[in-house]
Amino acid sequence: MPDIQFDSLGDFLNMGGYAFYVWTAYLFTLVVLALNLLLPLRDRKRVLKLLKVRMQRDAAQSGQSGLKEGVEE
Amino acid sequence: MLQWLYKLGSPRHFYDMTTTFVRWLAIVTFVLLGIGLVWGLMFAPPDYQMGDNFRIIYIHVPSAVGMIWIYAMMATMAAMHMIWNIKVADMVAKSSAVIGASFAAVCLVTGAIWGKPTWGTYWIWDAKLTSALIMFFVYVGVIALRSAFDSETSGSKAASVLTLVGVVNLPIVYYAAEWWQTLHQPSSDLGGRADGANPPEIWIPALFTGFGLIGLVFLVVIMRTRNEILWRERRASWVQELAVREVSHA
Repeated sequence: MPDIQFDSLGDFLNMGGYAFYVWTAYLFTLVVLALNLLLPLRDRKRVLKLLKVRMQRDAAQSGQSGLKEGVEE
Repeated sequence: MLQWLYKLGSPRHFYDMTTTFVRWLAIVTFVLLGIGLVWGLMFAPPDYQMGDNFRIIYIHVPSAVGMIWIYAMMATMAAMHMIWNIKVADMVAKSSAVIGASFAAVCLVTGAIWGKPTWGTYWIWDAKLTSALIMFFVYVGVIALRSAFDSETSGSKAASVLTLVGVVNLPIVYYAAEWWQTLHQPSSDLGGRADGANPPEIWIPALFTGFGLIGLVFLVVIMRTRNEILWRERRASWVQELAVREVSHA
């Protein structure tokens, strides 16, 4: 394992004078990749919730229509 | 093996087979990316010409390679969907487009940021840069075209055709620096050839971020494909049972 190339945290953050370039590049990458992971997780919850709501609605509707038929008879 | 591949083509089997796999893949991906990023940012020695600025390489090169291979995967899936009408192939193609566009964006932005201090400009109409930009636009076009249709089948057909047309650009992006030596250099020997200019201290972290990003691609594509399966199979009883089970627990 090679040694750490920086003497201090400040030195590390400074990136040999290239702080703006290095950290902007890494920050942009991090944000884009994090969104790629978070969006499907959110979508999964949304889809499952939507499916459950639909099923409950369908069940309620078929229950009501069944009742009406019963009344008509 | 063939039977296993055949089963992956069925939405329900794809869903079942990826359920535990996706968790292990997430762990491996985060470990690889963690090691690669810490190693690349802190332990790799600075480049003798570019200093610490060269550290952008650990995200720029893997995202560029990823952008090209994701396109190859998306095109293969589009072809399989067109020829054999495999539904899962279309879902994987759809899921690949967003991560592909993201990788293209990361490649272009990190490249531009790297270009400023090394080449003196954020952008130039060099062959490699221009063809990479075109690839980004093709990705965005494929996503937009699919969403422009109300009918799912028409949308996936149109997206598949555009994806296959865009394959023309694939070898151009790949070989642009070798064919036209405008500014972007051809890939240096990151693979560690004996006569390569880069020592292992430089390229080993790139292997970690590279494999980590490959893991991330598969992770995101599988997650998206699973959501797509749930939606398209929403009338199937196994999906409805799953929705009741999962939502009540949440």
